[in-house]
Amino acid sequence: MNESLASQRDTGRFDFRLRGVVGVWLRHYTAFKGGWMIEMTGIILEPVFILAAVAFGIGKLVGHVETRDEGVSYAVFVAPGIVIGNAMWHSLFECSWGAFRRLQTNRIYDSILAAPVSMREIVLGEIAWGATRALMTTAAVLAFATATGLVESPWAIGILGVGIMTGFMFGGFGLIAAAIAPSTHMLTLVFTMVATPLFFFSGTFFPISTLPIWAQPIAWSLPLSHPVRIARALATGELYIALLWSLLYLIVATLIFFPLAVKLLRRRLLV
Amino acid sequence: MTADQTPENNPMVHATGLVKKFGDFTAVDGITFDVHKGETFGMLGPNGAGKTSTLRMMSGLSPVTSGELEIDGIDATANPRSVRDVIGVVSQHDGLDPDISVRDNLTVYGFYFGLNREMAGKRADEVLDFFGLKARGADSVDDLSGGMRRRLTIARSFLSRPRLVILDEPTTGLDPHSRNRVWEQLAVLKNSGVTVVMSTHYMEEAAILCDRLVIMDEGHILAAGTPDDLIRDQAGAEVAQIRPEPGQRDSVQRQLKESGHETIEIGAIFAVRGTNGERADLSNISGARISYRAANLEDVFLRLTGRDLDDE
Repeated sequence: MNESLASQRDTGRFDFRLRGVVGVWLRHYTAFKGGWMIEMTGIILEPVFILAAVAFGIGKLVGHVETRDEGVSYAVFVAPGIVIGNAMWHSLFECSWGAFRRLQTNRIYDSILAAPVSMREIVLGEIAWGATRALMTTAAVLAFATATGLVESPWAIGILGVGIMTGFMFGGFGLIAAAIAPSTHMLTLVFTMVATPLFFFSGTFFPISTLPIWAQPIAWSLPLSHPVRIARALATGELYIALLWSLLYLIVATLIFFPLAVKLLRRRLLV
Repeated sequence: MTADQTPENNPMVHATGLVKKFGDFTAVDGITFDVHKGETFGMLGPNGAGKTSTLRMMSGLSPVTSGELEIDGIDATANPRSVRDVIGVVSQHDGLDPDISVRDNLTVYGFYFGLNREMAGKRADEVLDFFGLKARGADSVDDLSGGMRRRLTIARSFLSRPRLVILDEPTTGLDPHSRNRVWEQLAVLKNSGVTVVMSTHYMEEAAILCDRLVIMDEGHILAAGTPDDLIRDQAGAEVAQIRPEPGQRDSVQRQLKESGHETIEIGAIFAVRGTNGERADLSNISGARISYRAANLEDVFLRLTGRDLDDE
Protein backbone atom coordinates (compact mmCIF):
# COMPACT_ATOMS: atom_id res chain seq x y z
CA MET A 1 0.00 0.00 0.00
CA ASN A 2 2.73 2.46 0.95
CA GLU A 3 4.62 1.43 -2.09
CA SER A 4 1.64 2.15 -4.31
CA LEU A 5 1.14 5.58 -2.79
CA ALA A 6 4.76 6.38 -3.44
CA SER A 7 4.59 5.25 -7.04
CA GLN A 8 1.41 7.20 -7.63
CA ARG A 9 2.74 10.46 -6.28
CA ASP A 10 4.62 11.01 -9.50
CA THR A 11 3.20 14.09 -11.16
CA GLY A 12 4.37 16.40 -8.42
CA ARG A 13 7.02 18.99 -8.92
CA PHE A 14 9.69 16.85 -7.37
CA ASP A 15 8.97 13.67 -9.24
CA PHE A 16 12.41 12.91 -10.53
CA ARG A 17 14.20 9.67 -11.42
CA LEU A 18 17.92 9.77 -11.98
CA ARG A 19 17.71 6.62 -14.12
CA GLY A 20 15.82 8.63 -16.77
CA VAL A 21 18.67 11.13 -17.02
CA VAL A 22 21.29 8.37 -16.98
CA GLY A 23 19.36 6.44 -19.63
CA VAL A 24 19.33 9.40 -22.01
CA TRP A 25 23.02 10.07 -21.36
CA LEU A 26 23.82 6.40 -22.02
CA ARG A 27 21.88 6.57 -25.30
CA HIS A 28 24.18 9.38 -26.40
CA TYR A 29 27.26 7.62 -25.14
CA THR A 30 26.24 4.47 -27.09
CA ALA A 31 25.78 6.48 -30.28
CA PHE A 32 29.07 8.31 -29.69
CA LYS A 33 30.98 5.08 -29.12
CA GLY A 34 29.72 3.79 -32.46
CA GLY A 35 31.51 6.54 -34.38
CA TRP A 36 34.13 7.78 -31.95
CA MET A 37 36.99 8.05 -34.44
CA ILE A 38 35.08 10.49 -36.62
CA GLU A 39 33.77 12.30 -33.56
CA MET A 40 37.30 12.84 -32.30
CA THR A 41 38.21 14.89 -35.36
CA GLY A 42 35.57 17.43 -34.34
CA ILE A 43 36.46 17.26 -30.69
CA ILE A 44 40.26 17.48 -31.03
CA LEU A 45 41.53 18.25 -34.51
CA GLU A 46 39.23 21.00 -35.69
CA PRO A 47 39.65 23.26 -32.65
CA VAL A 48 43.40 22.54 -32.55
CA PHE A 49 43.69 23.69 -36.19
CA ILE A 50 41.91 26.92 -35.31
CA LEU A 51 43.98 27.52 -32.20
CA ALA A 52 47.28 26.77 -33.95
CA ALA A 53 46.50 29.06 -36.89
CA VAL A 54 45.28 31.95 -34.77
CA ALA A 55 47.76 31.68 -31.90
CA PHE A 56 50.91 30.97 -33.89
CA GLY A 57 49.96 32.51 -37.23
CA ILE A 58 48.05 35.66 -36.45
CA GLY A 59 49.77 35.80 -33.06
CA LYS A 60 53.08 36.53 -34.79
CA LEU A 61 51.59 39.71 -36.30
CA VAL A 62 49.74 40.97 -33.26
CA GLY A 63 52.19 41.01 -30.43
CA HIS A 64 51.00 41.99 -26.92
CA VAL A 65 47.50 42.35 -25.56
CA GLU A 66 46.80 44.45 -22.47
CA THR A 67 45.23 42.46 -19.64
CA ARG A 68 44.23 43.49 -16.15
CA ASP A 69 47.65 43.25 -14.50
CA GLU A 70 50.18 43.08 -17.26
CA GLY A 71 50.14 42.33 -20.94
CA VAL A 72 50.32 38.85 -22.38
CA SER A 73 51.20 37.58 -25.84
CA TYR A 74 48.29 37.32 -28.27
CA ALA A 75 48.69 33.55 -28.36
CA VAL A 76 48.24 33.31 -24.60
CA PHE A 77 45.33 35.76 -24.78
CA VAL A 78 43.42 33.94 -27.47
CA ALA A 79 43.84 30.32 -26.28
CA PRO A 80 41.17 30.35 -23.50
CA GLY A 81 38.79 32.15 -25.85
CA ILE A 82 39.09 29.41 -28.44
CA VAL A 83 38.88 26.64 -25.84
CA ILE A 84 35.63 27.95 -24.37
CA GLY A 85 34.18 29.16 -27.68
CA ASN A 86 34.68 25.67 -28.94
CA ALA A 87 32.97 24.17 -25.89
CA MET A 88 29.97 26.35 -26.75
CA TRP A 89 29.87 25.07 -30.34
CA HIS A 90 29.89 21.43 -29.31
CA SER A 91 27.17 21.69 -26.71
CA LEU A 92 25.04 24.00 -28.82
CA PHE A 93 25.31 21.81 -31.89
CA GLU A 94 24.42 18.63 -30.01
CA CYS A 95 21.48 20.19 -28.18
CA SER A 96 20.00 22.14 -31.08
CA TRP A 97 20.76 20.36 -34.35
CA GLY A 98 21.19 16.91 -32.83
CA ALA A 99 18.20 17.36 -30.54
CA PHE A 100 16.02 18.54 -33.42
CA ARG A 101 16.87 15.39 -35.37
CA ARG A 102 15.88 13.27 -32.39
CA LEU A 103 12.79 15.35 -31.70
CA GLN A 104 11.37 15.84 -35.17
CA THR A 105 13.11 13.75 -37.80
CA ASN A 106 13.42 10.48 -35.90
CA ARG A 107 10.78 10.96 -33.19
CA ILE A 108 13.02 9.50 -30.54
CA TYR A 109 11.72 11.74 -27.76
CA ASP A 110 8.26 10.29 -28.37
CA SER A 111 9.67 6.82 -27.78
CA ILE A 112 11.55 7.86 -24.66
CA LEU A 113 8.47 9.58 -23.25
CA ALA A 114 6.46 6.39 -23.83
CA ALA A 115 8.87 4.75 -21.37
CA PRO A 116 8.55 6.06 -17.83
CA VAL A 117 10.93 8.99 -18.42
CA SER A 118 9.81 12.58 -17.87
CA MET A 119 10.49 15.56 -20.11
CA ARG A 120 12.61 17.09 -17.38
CA GLU A 121 14.81 14.00 -17.26
CA ILE A 122 15.19 13.97 -21.05
CA VAL A 123 16.24 17.62 -21.04
CA LEU A 124 18.70 17.04 -18.22
CA GLY A 125 20.14 13.99 -20.00
CA GLU A 126 20.50 15.97 -23.23
CA ILE A 127 22.18 18.91 -21.52
CA ALA A 128 24.41 16.59 -19.51
CA TRP A 129 25.57 15.01 -22.76
CA GLY A 130 26.12 18.45 -24.32
CA ALA A 131 28.23 19.31 -21.27
CA THR A 132 30.09 16.00 -21.59
CA ARG A 133 31.04 16.86 -25.15
CA ALA A 134 32.01 20.35 -24.07
CA LEU A 135 34.24 18.81 -21.41
CA MET A 136 35.88 16.41 -23.89
CA THR A 137 36.78 19.17 -26.31
CA THR A 138 37.81 21.57 -23.54
CA ALA A 139 40.18 18.96 -22.15
CA ALA A 140 41.64 18.20 -25.58
CA VAL A 141 42.27 21.79 -26.62
CA LEU A 142 43.46 22.79 -23.16
CA ALA A 143 45.97 19.97 -23.25
CA PHE A 144 47.25 21.22 -26.60
CA ALA A 145 47.44 24.79 -25.29
CA THR A 146 49.33 23.64 -22.22
CA ALA A 147 51.76 21.56 -24.25
CA THR A 148 52.50 24.51 -26.54
CA GLY A 149 53.12 26.90 -23.64
CA LEU A 150 49.92 28.94 -23.92
CA VAL A 151 48.89 28.38 -20.30
CA GLU A 152 50.68 30.37 -17.59
CA SER A 153 49.04 29.21 -14.37
CA PRO A 154 48.11 25.94 -12.66
CA TRP A 155 44.70 27.54 -12.04
CA ALA A 156 44.05 26.63 -15.66
CA ILE A 157 42.83 23.21 -14.53
CA GLY A 158 39.66 25.05 -13.49
CA ILE A 159 38.98 25.72 -17.17
CA LEU A 160 37.63 22.17 -17.34
CA GLY A 161 34.89 23.23 -14.94
CA VAL A 162 34.23 26.36 -16.97
CA GLY A 163 33.90 24.15 -20.06
CA ILE A 164 31.31 21.96 -18.35
CA MET A 165 29.32 24.96 -17.16
CA THR A 166 29.48 26.49 -20.64
CA GLY A 167 28.15 23.17 -21.94
CA PHE A 168 25.23 23.19 -19.52
CA MET A 169 24.30 26.80 -20.32
CA PHE A 170 24.41 26.43 -24.10
CA GLY A 171 22.84 22.97 -23.95
CA GLY A 172 19.76 24.55 -22.41
CA PHE A 173 19.82 27.32 -24.97
CA GLY A 174 20.13 24.80 -27.82
CA LEU A 175 17.14 22.79 -26.59
CA ILE A 176 15.04 25.94 -26.43
CA ALA A 177 15.93 26.59 -30.07
CA ALA A 178 15.13 22.97 -31.02
CA ALA A 179 11.81 23.16 -29.19
CA ILE A 180 10.60 26.27 -31.01
CA ALA A 181 12.15 25.68 -34.45
CA PRO A 182 9.52 24.64 -37.00
CA SER A 183 12.18 23.24 -39.36
CA THR A 184 15.90 22.62 -39.73
CA HIS A 185 15.87 25.68 -41.96
CA MET A 186 14.96 27.96 -39.07
CA LEU A 187 17.39 26.14 -36.82
CA THR A 188 20.22 27.34 -39.06
CA LEU A 189 19.62 30.77 -37.54
CA VAL A 190 21.01 29.50 -34.25
CA PHE A 191 24.39 29.19 -35.93
CA THR A 192 24.35 32.13 -38.32
CA MET A 193 22.75 34.63 -35.95
CA VAL A 194 23.77 33.35 -32.52
CA ALA A 195 26.77 31.03 -32.39
CA THR A 196 28.94 32.78 -34.97
CA PRO A 197 28.58 36.32 -33.59
CA LEU A 198 29.03 35.01 -30.06
CA PHE A 199 32.15 33.09 -31.05
CA PHE A 200 33.81 36.20 -32.50
CA PHE A 201 32.52 39.08 -30.34
CA SER A 202 32.57 37.70 -26.80
CA GLY A 203 36.13 38.73 -25.99
CA THR A 204 37.33 35.51 -27.54
CA PHE A 205 39.65 36.84 -30.26
CA PHE A 206 40.14 40.39 -29.02
CA PRO A 207 39.39 42.22 -25.74
CA ILE A 208 35.89 43.62 -25.43
CA SER A 209 37.54 46.94 -24.51
CA THR A 210 38.65 47.33 -28.13
CA LEU A 211 35.00 47.47 -29.27
CA PRO A 212 33.34 50.91 -29.69
CA ILE A 213 32.15 52.20 -26.35
CA TRP A 214 28.47 51.70 -27.24
CA ALA A 215 29.04 48.08 -28.21
CA GLN A 216 30.85 47.07 -25.04
CA PRO A 217 27.77 46.69 -22.78
CA ILE A 218 26.17 44.60 -25.51
CA ALA A 219 29.20 42.33 -25.64
CA TRP A 220 29.17 41.95 -21.87
CA SER A 221 25.51 40.98 -21.95
CA LEU A 222 26.29 38.03 -24.24
CA PRO A 223 26.50 34.65 -22.52
CA LEU A 224 29.83 33.53 -23.96
CA SER A 225 31.70 36.63 -22.70
CA HIS A 226 31.51 35.42 -19.10
CA PRO A 227 32.95 31.91 -19.28
CA VAL A 228 35.68 33.26 -21.60
CA ARG A 229 36.53 35.92 -19.03
CA ILE A 230 36.76 33.35 -16.23
CA ALA A 231 38.79 30.92 -18.36
CA ARG A 232 41.25 33.65 -19.34
CA ALA A 233 41.76 34.66 -15.73
CA LEU A 234 42.42 31.03 -14.81
CA ALA A 235 44.86 30.57 -17.70
CA THR A 236 46.90 33.63 -16.82
CA GLY A 237 46.50 33.30 -13.06
CA GLU A 238 45.17 36.89 -12.76
CA LEU A 239 42.21 36.18 -10.51
CA TYR A 240 39.99 38.98 -9.18
CA ILE A 241 36.78 39.25 -7.24
CA ALA A 242 34.64 40.63 -10.10
CA LEU A 243 34.90 37.23 -11.78
CA LEU A 244 32.22 36.09 -9.37
CA TRP A 245 29.74 38.20 -11.34
CA SER A 246 30.59 36.20 -14.43
CA LEU A 247 30.16 32.98 -12.47
CA LEU A 248 26.80 34.21 -11.25
CA TYR A 249 25.80 35.04 -14.84
CA LEU A 250 26.62 31.47 -15.93
CA ILE A 251 24.64 29.90 -13.12
CA VAL A 252 21.61 32.16 -13.48
CA ALA A 253 21.47 31.77 -17.26
CA THR A 254 21.63 27.99 -16.90
CA LEU A 255 18.88 28.04 -14.30
CA ILE A 256 16.70 30.09 -16.66
CA PHE A 257 17.38 28.08 -19.83
CA PHE A 258 16.82 24.64 -18.29
CA PRO A 259 13.21 24.96 -17.07
CA LEU A 260 12.31 27.00 -20.14
CA ALA A 261 13.53 24.18 -22.40
CA VAL A 262 11.47 21.67 -20.37
CA LYS A 263 8.37 23.84 -20.66
CA LEU A 264 8.71 24.45 -24.40
CA LEU A 265 9.39 20.80 -25.19
CA ARG A 266 6.42 19.70 -23.09
CA ARG A 267 4.27 22.12 -25.04
CA ARG A 268 5.53 20.65 -28.28
CA LEU A 269 5.34 16.94 -27.46
CA LEU A 270 2.93 16.25 -24.62
CA VAL A 271 -0.28 17.58 -26.16
CA MET B 1 -2.05 -1.64 -4.82
CA THR B 2 -1.76 -5.05 -3.33
CA ALA B 3 -3.05 -8.09 -5.13
CA ASP B 4 -6.26 -8.41 -3.14
CA GLN B 5 -7.24 -4.88 -4.12
CA THR B 6 -7.04 -5.61 -7.83
CA PRO B 7 -9.05 -8.76 -8.38
CA GLU B 8 -8.61 -10.48 -11.69
CA ASN B 9 -12.02 -9.38 -12.86
CA ASN B 10 -11.23 -5.68 -12.50
CA PRO B 11 -10.84 -4.17 -15.95
CA MET B 12 -7.36 -3.42 -17.32
CA VAL B 13 -8.72 -0.19 -18.79
CA HIS B 14 -11.71 1.67 -17.45
CA ALA B 15 -12.72 4.84 -19.27
CA THR B 16 -15.76 6.93 -18.42
CA GLY B 17 -16.84 10.03 -20.32
CA LEU B 18 -13.34 10.46 -21.69
CA VAL B 19 -12.83 13.75 -23.54
CA LYS B 20 -9.87 15.17 -25.45
CA LYS B 21 -9.97 18.70 -26.81
CA PHE B 22 -7.34 20.57 -28.81
CA GLY B 23 -8.41 24.19 -28.45
CA ASP B 24 -11.93 24.35 -29.84
CA PHE B 25 -11.63 21.01 -31.61
CA THR B 26 -13.01 17.97 -29.81
CA ALA B 27 -11.06 14.88 -30.88
CA VAL B 28 -12.62 12.49 -28.37
CA ASP B 29 -16.13 13.32 -27.26
CA GLY B 30 -17.00 11.56 -24.03
CA ILE B 31 -16.36 7.89 -24.70
CA THR B 32 -16.94 5.11 -22.16
CA PHE B 33 -15.48 1.63 -22.42
CA ASP B 34 -13.76 -1.15 -20.48
CA VAL B 35 -10.96 -3.44 -21.58
CA HIS B 36 -10.81 -6.76 -19.73
CA LYS B 37 -7.59 -8.37 -18.60
CA GLY B 38 -6.04 -10.65 -21.19
CA GLU B 39 -8.21 -9.63 -24.11
CA THR B 40 -7.26 -7.98 -27.38
CA PHE B 41 -9.39 -4.91 -27.76
CA GLY B 42 -9.71 -3.02 -31.01
CA MET B 43 -10.64 0.48 -32.01
CA LEU B 44 -11.85 0.50 -35.57
CA GLY B 45 -12.51 3.71 -37.39
CA PRO B 46 -11.35 6.02 -40.15
CA ASN B 47 -8.64 8.66 -39.82
CA GLY B 48 -9.77 11.40 -37.47
CA ALA B 49 -12.09 9.13 -35.49
CA GLY B 50 -10.22 9.91 -32.27
CA LYS B 51 -8.39 6.58 -31.98
CA THR B 52 -4.87 7.99 -31.69
CA SER B 53 -5.96 10.66 -29.22
CA THR B 54 -7.59 7.98 -27.07
CA LEU B 55 -4.50 5.75 -27.20
CA ARG B 56 -2.20 8.68 -26.37
CA MET B 57 -4.27 9.48 -23.30
CA MET B 58 -4.13 5.82 -22.29
CA SER B 59 -0.36 5.89 -22.78
CA GLY B 60 0.04 8.81 -20.41
CA LEU B 61 1.40 10.96 -23.25
CA SER B 62 -1.53 13.31 -23.67
CA PRO B 63 -3.32 15.06 -20.81
CA VAL B 64 -6.95 14.00 -20.35
CA THR B 65 -9.25 17.00 -20.91
CA SER B 66 -12.05 15.50 -18.80
CA GLY B 67 -13.51 12.19 -17.78
CA GLU B 68 -12.09 9.22 -15.89
CA LEU B 69 -9.37 6.89 -17.07
CA GLU B 70 -7.92 4.02 -15.07
CA ILE B 71 -5.21 1.72 -16.34
CA ASP B 72 -4.65 -1.41 -14.25
CA GLY B 73 -6.14 0.37 -11.27
CA ILE B 74 -3.95 3.47 -11.71
CA ASP B 75 -5.64 6.83 -12.19
CA ALA B 76 -4.11 7.82 -15.53
CA THR B 77 -5.33 11.41 -15.32
CA ALA B 78 -3.24 12.00 -12.19
CA ASN B 79 -0.35 9.53 -12.58
CA PRO B 80 0.61 9.21 -16.23
CA ARG B 81 4.12 8.04 -15.36
CA SER B 82 2.89 5.19 -13.17
CA VAL B 83 0.86 4.08 -16.17
CA ARG B 84 3.96 4.13 -18.36
CA ASP B 85 5.70 1.85 -15.86
CA VAL B 86 3.31 -0.99 -16.66
CA ILE B 87 2.49 -0.56 -20.35
CA GLY B 88 4.26 -0.90 -23.68
CA VAL B 89 3.53 1.54 -26.50
CA VAL B 90 3.82 1.19 -30.27
CA SER B 91 3.12 4.52 -31.96
CA GLN B 92 2.50 5.09 -35.65
CA HIS B 93 5.94 6.60 -36.06
CA ASP B 94 8.32 3.84 -35.09
CA GLY B 95 10.56 6.29 -33.26
CA LEU B 96 13.55 4.01 -33.75
CA ASP B 97 17.02 5.39 -33.27
CA PRO B 98 19.16 5.37 -36.44
CA ASP B 99 22.31 6.42 -34.53
CA ILE B 100 22.59 3.10 -32.67
CA SER B 101 22.31 -0.56 -33.67
CA VAL B 102 19.13 -2.63 -33.71
CA ARG B 103 20.12 -4.39 -30.49
CA ASP B 104 21.17 -1.15 -28.80
CA ASN B 105 17.76 0.29 -29.63
CA LEU B 106 16.46 -2.32 -27.21
CA THR B 107 19.16 -2.25 -24.54
CA VAL B 108 19.05 1.55 -24.33
CA TYR B 109 15.27 1.33 -24.01
CA GLY B 110 15.79 -1.06 -21.13
CA PHE B 111 17.83 1.62 -19.34
CA TYR B 112 14.78 3.91 -19.38
CA PHE B 113 12.91 1.25 -17.42
CA GLY B 114 15.74 0.97 -14.95
CA LEU B 115 17.23 -2.30 -16.22
CA ASN B 116 20.96 -2.64 -15.74
CA ARG B 117 23.24 -3.41 -18.66
CA GLU B 118 23.16 -7.17 -18.12
CA MET B 119 19.38 -7.39 -17.71
CA ALA B 120 18.74 -5.05 -20.64
CA GLY B 121 21.02 -7.12 -22.86
CA LYS B 122 19.32 -10.35 -21.81
CA ARG B 123 15.84 -9.00 -22.50
CA ALA B 124 17.00 -7.48 -25.79
CA ASP B 125 18.22 -10.87 -26.98
CA GLU B 126 14.99 -12.56 -25.86
CA VAL B 127 12.69 -10.21 -27.75
CA LEU B 128 14.98 -10.07 -30.81
CA ASP B 129 14.77 -13.83 -30.93
CA PHE B 130 11.00 -13.90 -30.52
CA PHE B 131 10.43 -11.33 -33.24
CA GLY B 132 12.79 -13.04 -35.66
CA LEU B 133 15.35 -10.23 -35.66
CA LYS B 134 18.24 -11.99 -33.94
CA ALA B 135 20.41 -11.99 -37.06
CA ARG B 136 19.95 -8.23 -37.50
CA GLY B 137 21.05 -7.18 -34.01
CA ALA B 138 24.26 -5.47 -35.13
CA ASP B 139 22.70 -3.75 -38.15
CA SER B 140 21.58 -0.18 -38.41
CA VAL B 141 17.88 0.46 -38.08
CA ASP B 142 18.04 2.21 -41.46
CA ASP B 143 18.91 -1.09 -43.14
CA LEU B 144 15.72 -2.83 -41.99
CA SER B 145 12.64 -3.22 -44.17
CA GLY B 146 9.41 -1.52 -43.14
CA GLY B 147 8.05 -4.77 -41.75
CA MET B 148 11.20 -5.43 -39.71
CA ARG B 149 11.19 -1.88 -38.35
CA ARG B 150 7.64 -2.36 -37.21
CA ARG B 151 8.48 -5.69 -35.58
CA LEU B 152 11.42 -4.07 -33.82
CA THR B 153 9.11 -1.36 -32.51
CA ILE B 154 6.70 -4.00 -31.23
CA ALA B 155 9.62 -5.94 -29.75
CA ARG B 156 10.72 -2.78 -27.94
CA SER B 157 7.25 -2.36 -26.41
CA PHE B 158 7.53 -5.85 -24.90
CA LEU B 159 10.99 -5.30 -23.43
CA SER B 160 9.73 -4.30 -19.99
CA ARG B 161 7.26 -7.22 -19.74
CA PRO B 162 4.24 -4.89 -19.79
CA ARG B 163 0.79 -5.87 -18.56
CA LEU B 164 -0.85 -3.83 -21.31
CA VAL B 165 0.44 -3.12 -24.81
CA ILE B 166 -1.02 -0.26 -26.81
CA LEU B 167 -0.55 -0.38 -30.57
CA ASP B 168 -1.58 2.48 -32.83
CA GLU B 169 -2.28 1.09 -36.30
CA PRO B 170 0.40 -1.60 -36.08
CA THR B 171 0.30 -2.59 -39.74
CA THR B 172 -0.49 0.65 -41.53
CA GLY B 173 1.89 1.13 -44.43
CA LEU B 174 3.09 -2.49 -44.51
CA ASP B 175 2.88 -4.78 -47.50
CA PRO B 176 0.51 -7.78 -47.18
CA HIS B 177 3.32 -10.23 -46.40
CA SER B 178 4.76 -8.12 -43.59
CA ARG B 179 1.28 -7.47 -42.29
CA ASN B 180 0.61 -11.20 -42.01
CA ARG B 181 3.86 -11.69 -40.16
CA VAL B 182 2.93 -9.00 -37.64
CA TRP B 183 -0.51 -10.54 -37.21
CA GLU B 184 0.99 -13.96 -36.52
CA GLN B 185 3.24 -12.56 -33.84
CA LEU B 186 0.49 -10.52 -32.24
CA ALA B 187 -1.63 -13.66 -32.15
CA VAL B 188 1.13 -15.54 -30.32
CA LEU B 189 1.57 -12.70 -27.84
CA LYS B 190 -2.15 -12.68 -27.23
CA ASN B 191 -1.85 -16.30 -26.17
CA SER B 192 0.76 -15.33 -23.59
CA GLY B 193 -1.94 -13.50 -21.65
CA VAL B 194 -0.91 -9.89 -22.18
CA THR B 195 -3.73 -7.39 -22.67
CA VAL B 196 -3.62 -5.61 -26.02
CA VAL B 197 -5.39 -2.45 -27.15
CA MET B 198 -4.95 -1.61 -30.80
CA SER B 199 -6.37 0.82 -33.28
CA THR B 200 -6.78 0.01 -36.91
CA HIS B 201 -8.65 1.04 -39.97
CA TYR B 202 -8.36 -2.42 -41.51
CA MET B 203 -11.52 -4.36 -40.80
CA GLU B 204 -9.73 -7.61 -41.58
CA GLU B 205 -7.14 -6.93 -38.91
CA ALA B 206 -9.82 -6.14 -36.36
CA ALA B 207 -11.76 -9.29 -37.27
CA ILE B 208 -8.70 -11.55 -37.03
CA LEU B 209 -7.06 -10.22 -33.88
CA CYS B 210 -9.67 -8.59 -31.69
CA ASP B 211 -11.79 -10.33 -29.07
CA ARG B 212 -13.90 -7.22 -28.74
CA LEU B 213 -13.87 -3.89 -30.46
CA VAL B 214 -15.47 -0.50 -30.59
CA ILE B 215 -16.31 1.27 -33.81
CA MET B 216 -15.39 4.93 -33.63
CA ASP B 217 -16.19 7.92 -35.76
CA GLU B 218 -15.73 11.65 -35.12
CA GLY B 219 -14.78 11.16 -31.47
CA HIS B 220 -17.72 8.89 -30.61
CA ILE B 221 -18.14 5.16 -30.07
CA LEU B 222 -20.87 4.05 -32.44
CA ALA B 223 -21.02 0.40 -31.44
CA ALA B 224 -19.18 -2.13 -29.27
CA GLY B 225 -19.02 -5.89 -29.12
CA THR B 226 -17.30 -8.95 -30.47
CA PRO B 227 -16.67 -8.86 -34.23
CA ASP B 228 -19.26 -11.61 -34.77
CA ASP B 229 -21.92 -9.92 -32.67
CA LEU B 230 -21.36 -6.59 -34.36
CA ILE B 231 -21.66 -8.12 -37.77
CA ARG B 232 -24.76 -10.11 -36.86
CA ASP B 233 -26.50 -7.21 -35.13
CA GLN B 234 -25.56 -4.47 -37.53
CA ALA B 235 -25.10 -6.11 -40.91
CA GLY B 236 -26.87 -9.47 -40.79
CA ALA B 237 -25.25 -12.71 -41.83
CA GLU B 238 -25.12 -11.97 -45.50
CA VAL B 239 -25.15 -8.82 -47.55
CA ALA B 240 -26.77 -8.59 -50.95
CA GLN B 241 -24.86 -6.57 -53.49
CA ILE B 242 -27.06 -5.16 -56.22
CA ARG B 243 -25.40 -3.92 -59.41
CA PRO B 244 -27.94 -2.15 -61.64
CA GLU B 245 -27.69 -2.87 -65.34
CA PRO B 246 -26.90 0.11 -67.58
CA GLY B 247 -29.66 2.70 -67.46
CA GLN B 248 -31.54 0.86 -64.71
CA ARG B 249 -30.09 2.64 -61.67
CA ASP B 250 -33.12 4.83 -60.90
CA SER B 251 -35.56 2.00 -61.50
CA VAL B 252 -33.64 -0.37 -59.20
CA GLN B 253 -33.42 2.30 -56.53
CA ARG B 254 -37.19 2.83 -56.71
CA GLN B 255 -37.88 -0.91 -56.49
CA LEU B 256 -35.61 -1.26 -53.48
CA LYS B 257 -37.35 1.64 -51.79
CA GLU B 258 -40.76 0.10 -52.42
CA SER B 259 -39.60 -3.31 -51.18
CA GLY B 260 -38.97 -1.73 -47.77
CA HIS B 261 -35.39 -3.06 -47.46
CA GLU B 262 -32.83 -0.94 -45.69
CA THR B 263 -30.52 0.04 -48.53
CA ILE B 264 -27.03 1.53 -48.49
CA GLU B 265 -25.68 3.18 -51.60
CA ILE B 266 -22.00 2.65 -52.38
CA GLY B 267 -21.24 4.49 -55.58
CA ALA B 268 -23.13 2.68 -58.33
CA ILE B 269 -23.84 -0.37 -56.14
CA PHE B 270 -26.56 -0.92 -53.56
CA ALA B 271 -26.12 -3.10 -50.51
CA VAL B 272 -28.96 -4.70 -48.57
CA ARG B 273 -28.42 -6.49 -45.30
CA GLY B 274 -30.27 -9.57 -44.25
CA THR B 275 -32.48 -9.71 -41.17
CA ASN B 276 -32.78 -12.37 -38.46
CA GLY B 277 -29.86 -14.28 -39.90
CA GLU B 278 -31.58 -14.68 -43.28
CA ARG B 279 -30.44 -13.17 -46.53
CA ALA B 280 -32.74 -10.47 -47.88
CA ASP B 281 -35.30 -11.72 -50.40
CA LEU B 282 -34.70 -9.68 -53.53
CA SER B 283 -36.23 -12.08 -56.07
CA ASN B 284 -38.70 -9.48 -57.33
CA ILE B 285 -36.07 -6.83 -58.12
CA SER B 286 -35.47 -6.58 -61.84
CA GLY B 287 -32.86 -4.82 -63.96
CA ALA B 288 -29.92 -5.66 -61.67
CA ARG B 289 -27.32 -8.34 -61.00
CA ILE B 290 -27.63 -9.57 -57.43
CA SER B 291 -24.96 -11.46 -55.48
CA TYR B 292 -24.59 -12.42 -51.85
CA ARG B 293 -21.50 -12.44 -49.64
CA ALA B 294 -20.77 -12.85 -45.95
CA ALA B 295 -21.18 -9.59 -44.07
CA ASN B 296 -18.07 -8.03 -42.54
CA LEU B 297 -17.06 -5.14 -40.31
CA GLU B 298 -16.89 -2.84 -43.30
CA ASP B 299 -20.65 -3.32 -43.69
CA VAL B 300 -21.09 -2.55 -40.02
CA PHE B 301 -19.19 0.69 -40.38
CA LEU B 302 -21.02 1.58 -43.57
CA ARG B 303 -24.38 1.02 -41.94
CA LEU B 304 -23.46 3.05 -38.85
CA THR B 305 -21.97 6.02 -40.68
CA GLY B 306 -23.07 5.79 -44.30
CA ARG B 307 -19.41 6.04 -45.27
CA ASP B 308 -16.55 3.73 -46.20
CA LEU B 309 -13.80 3.09 -43.67
CA ASP B 310 -11.23 4.25 -46.17
CA ASP B 311 -12.92 7.58 -46.86
CA GLU B 312 -10.44 10.31 -46.10
